[in-house]
Amino acid sequence: MTGALMEVAGLAKHYPVRRGLLSRITGQVRAVDGLSFELFRGETLALVGESGCGKSTTARLVLRLIEPTAGTVRFEGADITGLRGDAMRKLRRRMQIVFQDPFASLNPRMTVAEILEEPLIVHSIGNGAARRARVAELLGLVGLAPYHAGRYPHEFSGGQRQRIGIARALAVEPALVVCDEPVSALDVSIQAQVVNLLKDLQARLGLSYLFIAHDLAVVKHVADRVAVMYLGRIVEIGPKDDVFANPRHPYTRVLLSAIPRPDPHRKLARSAAGSETPGGDVPSPANVPPGCRFHTRCPFVIDRCRAEDPALHDIEPGHLSACHRAEELPAAAAMETVQAAAPAAARRLALYAERRATQQAAG
Amino acid sequence: MADLLEIDGLRTVFRSPSGDVPAVDGVSLSVARGRTLGIVGESGCGKSMLSLSVMRLVPSPGRVAAGRVVFDGQDLLALPGRAMRAVRGKRIGMIFQEPMTSLNPVFTVGDQITEAMRAHDPSASKAALRARAVAALDRVRIPGPARRFDDYPHQMSGGMRQRVMIAMALSCDPDLLIADEPTTALDVTVQAQILDLLRDLQAQSGMAIILITHDLGVVAEMADEVAVMYAGRVVERASGTAIFDDPQHPYTLGLLGSIPRIEETRSRLLAIEGSVPAPFALPEGCRFHPRCVFSAPACTRVDPPLRGLGADHQAACIRAPVEDLAA
Repeated sequence: MTGALMEVAGLAKHYPVRRGLLSRITGQVRAVDGLSFELFRGETLALVGESGCGKSTTARLVLRLIEPTAGTVRFEGADITGLRGDAMRKLRRRMQIVFQDPFASLNPRMTVAEILEEPLIVHSIGNGAARRARVAELLGLVGLAPYHAGRYPHEFSGGQRQRIGIARALAVEPALVVCDEPVSALDVSIQAQVVNLLKDLQARLGLSYLFIAHDLAVVKHVADRVAVMYLGRIVEIGPKDDVFANPRHPYTRVLLSAIPRPDPHRKLARSAAGSETPGGDVPSPANVPPGCRFHTRCPFVIDRCRAEDPALHDIEPGHLSACHRAEELPAAAAMETVQAAAPAAARRLALYAERRATQQAAG
Repeated sequence: MADLLEIDGLRTVFRSPSGDVPAVDGVSLSVARGRTLGIVGESGCGKSMLSLSVMRLVPSPGRVAAGRVVFDGQDLLALPGRAMRAVRGKRIGMIFQEPMTSLNPVFTVGDQITEAMRAHDPSASKAALRARAVAALDRVRIPGPARRFDDYPHQMSGGMRQRVMIAMALSCDPDLLIADEPTTALDVTVQAQILDLLRDLQAQSGMAIILITHDLGVVAEMADEVAVMYAGRVVERASGTAIFDDPQHPYTLGLLGSIPRIEETRSRLLAIEGSVPAPFALPEGCRFHPRCVFSAPACTRVDPPLRGLGADHQAACIRAPVEDLAA
C-alpha cells in the first residue's frame, strides 16, 4: 500500500422532503451525513451496514454519479468534487463500478463483445482490431471463453453474468473498482467463485476495491479494512481483524452476533445464554434520532448518548469508534465461542481442497 | 408417533415439447410435530417446487406425476379440490420469500389477514375477526397492533411486512408451516428477530416447520433435520448437527466449503466449479458428477440411491465416506 488513492472528507447527501401544493421543503432525508475515510492503493475497504444506512449512496457519491450536498472527494491527490466535462470523463476511466444485480445491469440486446467494447469506444481506446483483442483478453481474465463473446446476456447464469460485469468494469483499466453488493444476488457456491475471482484480479492488477456489502462473513473474507455504517455515518472503522475480534461499537457487535453461523452447536450455546438480538427497526433517515443515532436500539445506552452526538475517535492505531462508551464496552470474546469444524468435517473438507487443487493444477 | 407429513417418492414434472422435464424427482421426506425440517439447496434445485407440490400449487404446465404426500393420515394429492382448500391455509400455512410482493398494496394488512380467516370461518363476525387479527399481529410482536391493523403494506418496513406474512400464515393455527426463504430479503438484525420469533411460536404451538433456504447458517440455527437437495433430488439427509459435523455427500462438502465463515481466515473459498444443471439437461449417472472433485468413472454411469451411513444419516453417493478413497 502506497498512500491514499481516495480521500473522502465530510461527505453528505441530503434529499429534501417536499409536501403540499407549493412543494414546500418540510424536512431532509439525510442519506449520507458527514462521512470521512481514506482508501489506500491496492486495498479493499468494505462499507457494511443494513439497508438504508447510506452505503450505496456513498458508492454513487464517490463515483460522482450523484452530487454531494457537502464535503469533498479527492482521488489520486486531486479534488474531483467540482470536475466537469472532459476532465470528469477522463477520471471515469480510473474508477469503475460492479453492480449488485447481474440480471439488470447488462443490456439484453447487446452481445457480450458489444458490452465489453462499449467502454473502450466511449473512452476512444484502440482501433477495432485492438478492441476485439482486448475483449478476448478480458474474457480470459474473468474465466470466460473467447466463444462467449458472441452470446447475449440471457444465455448466461448469474455467476457468469457477474463475471461479464466485472470484465466490463476492468475494460478501461481502472485504479478503483466500487463493488456494490457484487455477490449478494448469487448462490453460495457461485458467490465463492466470484469472491475468489475478485481477490485474484486484485492481486494481479493491483486494484483498490470499495466493497459495499451487508454480509459480514463475505466482508471478513475479502476486506483489508471495514467501515460499519449506520444511518448515514461511519460508526466504526478499522483493520478487519481488529473490528471483528474487538468490536468497539455496540452496533458492530449487534451485526456480528446476528449473523447466522453454519454451526449448530452455537445455537445450543446461545439459547442457553439468551440472544443479543436488538429489537426494533433502523430509524428512518428522514427522522434521525438526536444524540447518538444508535441510542434508540443500543443495549449500552446512557443519558449522555441521548443528548450528545459521539465523534469518531481512535481506540487503537487505525481503529476508530463513534461511541461514548467505546473504551468501557465489555470484551466481545464471550459471545464468540469459536467452534472449529468437527474432526470428520474438517478431514473431508481438507480432502476436498486437496482434490480441487490437484484438478486445477492439471487444468 | 407417526410423522405429521410424509412425502414419498414425489415427482413433479413440467411438460415440454421434448417430453416431461422433472423439477422434483423422487423425493421422500418427513417431518414430525414440533420439529423443523430444513431443506437446503441452491436456486434451481427444486426446493421451492417441492413445497408448492405439497400445497398442490404447482403452476401450469407443471404437475405432480407420481408419489404421495401424506399429511396427518390423508394423502393430499388424492383429496378433492374443496377438501384441499380446507387444508391449505388452515392446517398448512405458508410464507414466501418476498414480503414486498406477497402483500396486496391496495388493501390494508388487516383486510388481508381477515380475508384468510373469513375463508376458513365464514360465520365469524367482523368484530371477532378484527380482534383475532389484532391478536395475530400482537403474537408476531408488531408494536401497536390495533393501530397497525389499518396500515397499508407500503407503510411498513420489510421486517414488519414479513411479520404480517407470518401472522397471516399462523392466523388459523396451522399444524405445519412451510417457510420458503423467509428471511432472505431481510437485513441480518431483522433476520435474527424473525428466526427468534419463529422458534418461539413453534415452542408455543408445537407446529412443524419446513424451512426452505439456501443459507446454511439459517439451517444451523433452526433445523432439527436437514435435507440437502441437488437437481431435483435429495442427496443427503441427516440431523441438524450431523450435516455440519459429519457431512458425507461431496455437494454438501462443497456448500460448506463455499461459505465464508466469520470465525476463520482462509485465503480462498472452496468454491464448487460450474453451476447447477438445468432440469432438461441432466447429466447421466450421478447428477453432481460433472462438478464433483471425487467423481470416479462409475459415477458417470450409476445414479446413486440414498443409502444409510450411520444412524438416521443417508447420502446418495457411491464414493462416501470420501476419506476411505484410495488417493
